[in-house]
Parts: sequence; structure tokens; C-alpha cells
Amino acid sequence: MRQFKNMAYPYMIWISIMVVVPMLMIVMYAFTKHGNDVATFWFTFDNFAHFFSDIIFINVLKQSLYIAIVTTIICIFLGYPAAYIMAHSQEKNKMFLMLLITLPTWINMLVRTYAWMGILQDNGIVQNILEFFGIHIKLLHTDFAVILGMVYNFIPFMILQIYTSLTKMDKSLLEAASDLGADKVQCFLKVTFPLSLPGVISGITLVFLPAMSSFFIPKLLGGGQYVLIGNVIESQFLTAGNWNFGSAISLIMAVIIMISMYITKKIESKNGIEKGRVAN
Amino acid sequence: MKHHIKKIIAVTLSIGMAFSFTACSSNTAAEDPVAKYGSDTLKLYNWGEYMGDTLISDFEKQFGVDVIVEYFDSNEMMYTKIQAGDAYDVLVPSDYMIQRLIENNSLQPLDKEMIPNLANLAEGVKNLPYDPDNTYSAPYFWGDVGIVYNKNNVDLQDLENEGYAILKNPKYKGKIYMYDSERDSFMVALKSLGYSMNTDNEAEIEQAYQWLKELNDTMDPIYVTDEVIDGMMNGNKDLAVVYSGDAATILSENEDMAFFLPKEGTNIWSDAMVIPANAENPKLANEFINYVLTYDASYGNSEAVGYTSSNQQVMDDMSGEGGLYEFNPAYLPRMGYEKDEVFEDNTVLKEKLSELWIKVKASN
Repeated sequence: MRQFKNMAYPYMIWISIMVVVPMLMIVMYAFTKHGNDVATFWFTFDNFAHFFSDIIFINVLKQSLYIAIVTTIICIFLGYPAAYIMAHSQEKNKMFLMLLITLPTWINMLVRTYAWMGILQDNGIVQNILEFFGIHIKLLHTDFAVILGMVYNFIPFMILQIYTSLTKMDKSLLEAASDLGADKVQCFLKVTFPLSLPGVISGITLVFLPAMSSFFIPKLLGGGQYVLIGNVIESQFLTAGNWNFGSAISLIMAVIIMISMYITKKIESKNGIEKGRVAN
Repeated sequence: MKHHIKKIIAVTLSIGMAFSFTACSSNTAAEDPVAKYGSDTLKLYNWGEYMGDTLISDFEKQFGVDVIVEYFDSNEMMYTKIQAGDAYDVLVPSDYMIQRLIENNSLQPLDKEMIPNLANLAEGVKNLPYDPDNTYSAPYFWGDVGIVYNKNNVDLQDLENEGYAILKNPKYKGKIYMYDSERDSFMVALKSLGYSMNTDNEAEIEQAYQWLKELNDTMDPIYVTDEVIDGMMNGNKDLAVVYSGDAATILSENEDMAFFLPKEGTNIWSDAMVIPANAENPKLANEFINYVLTYDASYGNSEAVGYTSSNQQVMDDMSGEGGLYEFNPAYLPRMGYEKDEVFEDNTVLKEKLSELWIKVKASN
């Protein structure tokens, strides 16, 4: 193995140029003032103070967290049964179900979101059908539309993660459990679920992160009234031209995401992995 | 060496073309573009969906050159790329952005000898404040910003009495599209309050901010950009703040819609062709600008996109008797009205308005 070690160097260089340097630049922007060139490097906390001193930004942050959490919870409750059914179906059906889940992701996310705009719009298909049954509701540009769009776009990540952890599970453990007198519910609660937790946890990470920073789904399906933290960052970079403030908000978000990942990791090591190890 | 190969290819191609198009005019292969312009490739950076279908291919055919087109969807996006040192030969930014580019010395003057068609420019779009004698820029499209409304559901009397303030009339709650950009929304608010849209007076901006916030909190508006075209064509809402060119498109697709320019004034905007200082092929760039200003090319652009042509003759023909936009009041911009203004560039102000705009939308 040792002789291959050198082959990692190009990769390390690549990573440091493509990942580390941009991150360092974000940090540099976040702690400096406007009119940045290297000659007038001006260290400041102003950008952060600006963010936390304004109740509207705090509310935007809260709203983003709320949407991300709701999306993640819905993804778990819809995604877990789907993954469970997939994992327990026949081999050829498995392939088919897998195709159904991954098929939409072959098409660009933006295009699919536009499709939802057409489906949900006033006088659109869904509204006409509901109208037929005498139900009059507004669909597009509501909380419902935003959360629907988020769940729709991110649920494949949840399903695939849980599915993988369920299929990797050792079936003989279930047999052992029923030999020892556990019924089906007990089998699920005591064996299957704890063993699938790592999948759920990585699913949460994969759904929560993009849901937290998404900006075009709330923009398109929420009708622009829906300002999330991603939209604030977008506008700082693309219209305001205030890269420093935009970087500061990105950094604040990165910290929040790091904290949430730390918490999920904690939960994981308390529940999933330990039990998994005992079982192994 | 590279040039030799290019030349050989160009010669072979032109011989091939000469053979295959013997019936056509032979000016395709008349002159070697490399010898004439120094290169046979033009890099154009333009807005998406902003050109006639055959503009580029016709130019390529006529001058025997290649045009590489890239698209941007905001002035700021384009500016960022230019600042990063990307070299293009022709850009098509808006008024205030041209002002900023001139101030940064990012543009080179047009070679007016090569662009005799500057004489075709329409009266209202010539010599605007951002470039007083068109030293750097040749206007491409122009227009104003007004309100598109559904004739069946909106009382014209309300519009005439209230102007922009109709957007805050509770009668039309939930029936409104607002334009999702700080520039245009603050223009509406400042004009409605009777101020200049280029003001940097703190108190006036604060009032405009409150005006927009009230609209946001009470009227349930939907903030859109290009989606407004589809939305109004389908009649999804009754009132919308719309750029005149988009309004012309909406009006020609949906007969229920009409266009109204409030008496409080509006933004007379223009997008113009400029040549960046670091352009690799300025000669061909001047040739291209001259070509776009010809009657045929301008007509093709305006016909396909619906925006007002910068070519006087095209504009007159399109809006005149028998023209494509004869009965389309959105096509012809309002000219010479004292309350109409042109945007001036002010980066500090822009940053501030942009933040206020986010706050307007986030308040609920």
C-alpha cells in the first residue's frame, strides 16, 4: 500500500486549490471591509455585528432553520417507509423502484422546480381538479409550495441513504431476534431501526444542508416573498455587490451547519454505532 | 504557425463556399477577415433572448467570421466577469452600468469612422447623460417601465387618479406582480412619493422603504422578474410593474391587457453596445456594432424580442401605420416628459437599496 501513497499528492494539491483557498477567501472577505484589495487589508467584525444587530436578518435565519427542519422531518417520515419497502421487495422490483427514485434527479433541479410552478399555478392542473370538487385554495407562492418543492427535490438523498443501510443489514440478526421470541414490531424497533440509524443520520445531513441554503426553490415557488438565508447571500453577491457581508453570512451559516452536524454525530455515536457494534 | 493553419482552413472553407454558393453573391469570400480585422472571431456578451434569430448567422455569413456568444442575466453578473479580466469584444450593458464601466476606464471609445450607422440612432436614445456624445456606447434597445393591467378587472379611472399608488389599493389585493429588483421597485416608490429616483436623501429613501414595506405587508404581492411575461399572458394577476418591451410582448399575446405609464414619471432605460478596453478584436467589434445598427438587423432584433429599437427608421415603421406594433402602446417609449429620468450609477446607494429591498421582502 505504501508505494501508492505518493499518488495522493495531486489530489491533495487539487483539494487545497479548489476547496481550501476559496474557503480562506470567504473568511478573508467576511472579516474585512469594503473596497478590498490586498494592500488595504482591514480587519473588522462589522459585517457580523451588522447581521446580528438587525431583527429582520435574525428572523430570516429562524425561518430558514424552520423550513430546513420541517423539510428534513417530512423527508424522514416519507423516506423511511419508502426505503423499507424498497429494501424488502423482490430483486427485480428493487431495480425498478431504484430507477423511479433516481430518475427525476437526471433532470436539472431548476427545470423540475419550474415544472412545479406550472403544476401549482393559478388556473393550473391541480387547482382546476380541486376546483372541480369545490375546493378553492391558492397553491403556488405559499409555505406549502416551498416545502413541497424542498421535499420533492431532496427526498431521494434520504431514501437512498436509508435504503443502503437497510440492505447492508445482516438478516440473521432478525432471525435470531424472532427465535428469541420477539414479534415483528419488536424486531423492527429493537433491531432494524437502530441498525438503520446511521443511514437516517447521513440522510438528515444530506437533506438539511441543501434545504438550509437553497435559494431558488423559495424564490420560484414562494414568489419572492419568501426570503431565506440563501436569498440574502445571493442578493449580497449578485445585486448589492457587497461580497464582504455576503461572506460573513455564509460563514455564520457554515458555523450553524457545523454545530448541527456535531449534534447529529453525537446522537449517532450514542445510539446507532454503539448498538451496531454490539450487534456485530 | 497557428495563423497559417487558420488561414489555410479559411481559404479552403471559402473556396468550398464559393463552389457551393456559386449562385449566391460572392461577397462571402471577398476579403480575408484575418487580414482585414486581425482576427476572424468575435466574442459577444449579451442578455439572453435579446437577438433576432438570424442576427449572428447573417453577420457571420456576410463578413466570413465566427461569433462566440455568451449570455448574462444581470448587469452585476457581467460586471463581475469583466472585473475578473475576462476579455470580450462587445458587451451590451444597461445605462448605469455603462457609466460605471466608463468611470473605471474599462471601455474604449468607439471608432466612429467604422460606424456610420450611428446616424440611424433614434432621437430619444442618443447622447444620454451616461455617455453624452456616444463616445463609448451605441444604443441597442431602450424603453420605459410602466404598469400592465387587465382591462376587464382594473378601473382605468383608478390608475389615472392614483398612478403607482394603485399598487397599494386594497381593491387589488393579491392581484399584483411586483418587479423583483431594488432598482425598479424603489423607482416606483420614489416616483409615487414625488421624489427623484436618483435621490440619495436619507429621509426620502426611508419613506420609499416604508411605502414598499406597506405594500408588501398589506397587498400580498408576488415578486417576479421574467416570469411576469408568462404570468400576465395567462392573466394570472391584474396589475404588474413591467418593462415596456416585455409589456409589448404581453399585449400582443393577451388582448385583455393594456399598458399604462403613470404621470409621476418613469425610468427611461437603455442597453447599449460597448467595447471593453481589453477587447482582443476591437476592429471587428466596431464592424459588428455598425452591422447591428443597420435597418435589417435592428428590425430583426426588435421583431423577435419586442423591445424598442434604437434605430429611428425601424422604430417609426414598427409603431407606424401597418407596423407590427401599430396598436401596441407599450412599444413606443414616452419621450421628452420632464418627470422621466435615466438611472445614474451610485454603488453606495445601490448597496443600501439592495439591503432595504431584502428587508422589505423579508418583513411579514
